[in-house]
Amino acid sequence: MAEEILLVGRGLTKRYGGVTALSEVDFELRAGEVLGLVGPNGAGKTTLVDLISGAQAATAGELTLRGSKLAGPASRRARAGLGRTFQYPQLALELDVRANLLLGRAARRHATLWQMITGAFVGALRPRVAADEVAVRAIANELGIRDLDREAGDLTLGEQRLVEVGRALGQDPLVLLLDEPFAGSDARGVAGIAEVIHTVRRRGHAVILVDHNVDLVARLVDRIMLLDRGRVVFDGDPRECLASQQMQNVYFGLDTDDDDAGDGSPKAEVQDVRS
Amino acid sequence: MTAQTSQPAAATAGWDIRDIRRVPGIGGFALGCAAAVLILLWVGSDGYKQTLVTSAATYALIALGMYVPYLMAGSLSMAYSAYAGIGGYAVGLISTKTGLPLAVAWLVGPIVAALLAVLLGLVTRRLSGFFLAAVTLLFGMAFTAFLIDAEALSGGSGGLGNLRPLNLFGWTPSHYQVVLGSAVIVCVIAFLLDRLRLSPWGVIVRTMRDAPRAVEAAGVRVPVLNLLALALGAAIAAVGGGLFTYSAGSITPDTFTLNIVFLAIFMPLIGGAGTPWGAVAGAVIAVELTLNFPAIQTSGTLLLALGVLVIMLVAPRGVVGYADKLRTRTWALLRKEPDRG
Amino acid sequence: MTDLQLWLSAVEMGCFFGMLALAYYLIHVGAGFFNFAIGPYAMMGGLCTTWLIITYDLGVWPAAATAVAVTVGLAALTELAIVRPVQKRSGGGELPALVAVAAVLFAIQQLAGYVFGYPTLPGQSLATFDPVTVGEVTVQPSSLLMIVVALLSFALSALWIRSTRTGRLLRAVGDSNRAAALLGLPVNRIRLIAFVLAGFVAALAGILFAPKAGVNSLSGLAWSLSGFLAVVVGGTGSVWAPLFGGMLLGLVEVFLPYYFGGQAHVYGMLLIALLFFALKPKGLFVRTVRA
Repeated sequence: MAEEILLVGRGLTKRYGGVTALSEVDFELRAGEVLGLVGPNGAGKTTLVDLISGAQAATAGELTLRGSKLAGPASRRARAGLGRTFQYPQLALELDVRANLLLGRAARRHATLWQMITGAFVGALRPRVAADEVAVRAIANELGIRDLDREAGDLTLGEQRLVEVGRALGQDPLVLLLDEPFAGSDARGVAGIAEVIHTVRRRGHAVILVDHNVDLVARLVDRIMLLDRGRVVFDGDPRECLASQQMQNVYFGLDTDDDDAGDGSPKAEVQDVRS
Repeated sequence: MTAQTSQPAAATAGWDIRDIRRVPGIGGFALGCAAAVLILLWVGSDGYKQTLVTSAATYALIALGMYVPYLMAGSLSMAYSAYAGIGGYAVGLISTKTGLPLAVAWLVGPIVAALLAVLLGLVTRRLSGFFLAAVTLLFGMAFTAFLIDAEALSGGSGGLGNLRPLNLFGWTPSHYQVVLGSAVIVCVIAFLLDRLRLSPWGVIVRTMRDAPRAVEAAGVRVPVLNLLALALGAAIAAVGGGLFTYSAGSITPDTFTLNIVFLAIFMPLIGGAGTPWGAVAGAVIAVELTLNFPAIQTSGTLLLALGVLVIMLVAPRGVVGYADKLRTRTWALLRKEPDRG
Repeated sequence: MTDLQLWLSAVEMGCFFGMLALAYYLIHVGAGFFNFAIGPYAMMGGLCTTWLIITYDLGVWPAAATAVAVTVGLAALTELAIVRPVQKRSGGGELPALVAVAAVLFAIQQLAGYVFGYPTLPGQSLATFDPVTVGEVTVQPSSLLMIVVALLSFALSALWIRSTRTGRLLRAVGDSNRAAALLGLPVNRIRLIAFVLAGFVAALAGILFAPKAGVNSLSGLAWSLSGFLAVVVGGTGSVWAPLFGGMLLGLVEVFLPYYFGGQAHVYGMLLIALLFFALKPKGLFVRTVRA
């Protein structure tokens, strides 16, 4: 039984200067699905996430979220139901972990101008909301974040990534975009994020997971999209992907198309160093 | 500053005083009020001292006005002399050119200042840092030029004088009561801004400073919130301008100079940027040095300027910041808890 | 617009703003930020010179030399004691550097007021000779000096940047302090040299301009803004660009009040700032990177 289709991208293209970062990318994301996005450096993974979240404007192509067109600035798309983390964590370094986690949740109450104005009055009169404290604590427990009073600037990179995930979770997004959340994380951090992915899936929402660690991604996702130089070269089962020819080509440069000689010769010789 | 967060009930042994501490911002408010009471007692009926206090209150309000956009949102606008001027001229104009009750000036002035701040903010929305500072500084200068040119409206270089006294339902405050009132207004606004800083709204605005992309990605339109912060700050500065003009009895284009804007930047630096009370503390120190210093051996303002440089290099958290650090350390020691700094 | 005397006045103002802008340019290219204290440096040059002459009866040249030395010292102090530590501590963030520079600007103004007094003092011309008459235009000695020295400053700066090792390294250091340091370039020394040269140029500008309308301890702020505008309008594409920016502002400064009345140049500056900052923040002359 097919689940509802949450997010659709058609013909997504990004060009700037003389570079084509993404070319005609199509994809579909269903409710409860976890999609992995892998590929070597420069393949366009973060660009795709940026196009979806609105951090960058697409040169061509369109996106729909639950049937409605997904466009406009990042804040509008976030309000429509997107949440994301960044390749380099964007945290308020001088605020404590609690405050950083609170942002996602608080933002939902300060979306319109009227909410911002009334929010200021409410904030001055009632700075602490018990429900916020409870929710933030729950998110922290789920991710295994301890000691909410530390300054975000004092955390390790892995811990900062974890906080970013927690912040995005606070928005209760329909689609959660995770951009390289595992880099710099220890086993506990990875387990925490994996837990979050399962929770989101159980809620009937979806996750797009970008990371370099292909094995790890393959274990966590339902489907993998392999990008190479801006194009989708594989979209399907994770284990099949790992074993596929495309995977070999992309990561080891054994290319049968788009090479200069055009005769199928490998770009690089993979030698067995033991011989 | 995380010292004001409420502690979970089970974590520490029951101290009744903890319940008071649960009111965010109460610590600063208590200290601020205590200081205000001491200052007011010191002032008594001495006219010169009363002027000092109203000056300090005005400086404090201008610094508090800069607090939201500058210290919380990270955008330094130097147009505050204009906003204070608007507040002052609102009092002057309503007093001399209309028959409206004077109290209306403290509504009209802040609203006009807020609108102007939004306009300026829209025009400069893509600017930041040095460029924003320069443009807003130029705007402040242009505003003064406008005041001099628009004689019919502003009274030109001579300004407006002979302001009528405030009449609230038949009661007119005495000069001392005006001084008291300005101290109360400063304390209340500082208290509210402190709570605002700790609130979810404050968290969003403060995150906007370091990580605006994160705020956008969470669903808040950063440019709109930024304009709101600017409007709020301008309104508060205008309140200060109106207050000063009322107690001085007159206003000219030179009343609110660019000097004040510089001082307004330095006051939170001296007092400490962690809390709005730092701006207030800095204002008191600034007024003491610039207006009340025995000018025999050294110049007070020079001392202030050098002091700012020293503090910037040596004690970036300012006087209040260090005092607060001392307080949390002492408190932790009393509670025999590990110091969380 | 046919009054040549006005044009001369505009050119003279343009040279003054241009020199201030050159000082900004040197520090921006070498240290990557805008030193708003340039105006007070110029003020120091002019005010200190006059004060030394009036108070100690020094000759013009010794007084000027002393003033320049003091200003250069202040510039070096700014970099060593304020800017470098603040930039290092805040990781190059813009706001701390801006506040630091504002504090320096303020402090120098107060220092000048305290030492030299608050009243406006008249400037002293470095050379006295009879005014030169060219056609219907009378050129005062101070105007001629201003124009000649400005052109010389630019020419020498261009030569320095193009021909000496330090000059050529200036750009490299400014583009990225860290990359330059990794390459083994003497970043700190080059930055200091940039500040010293900027202080020198600014002091000279202040001394030359002071005869026009006098100078007091508060003159520096307006001059800082004008210089900043000039360098932004001109752009940092070429060492001569600040001069063009200065000239444009000189035209505004002289012709707007002539046609529109007393305060018009302030409005004009604001308008130019808004236009250029919003539309052409890189200025008229942009450095193109050759691929």
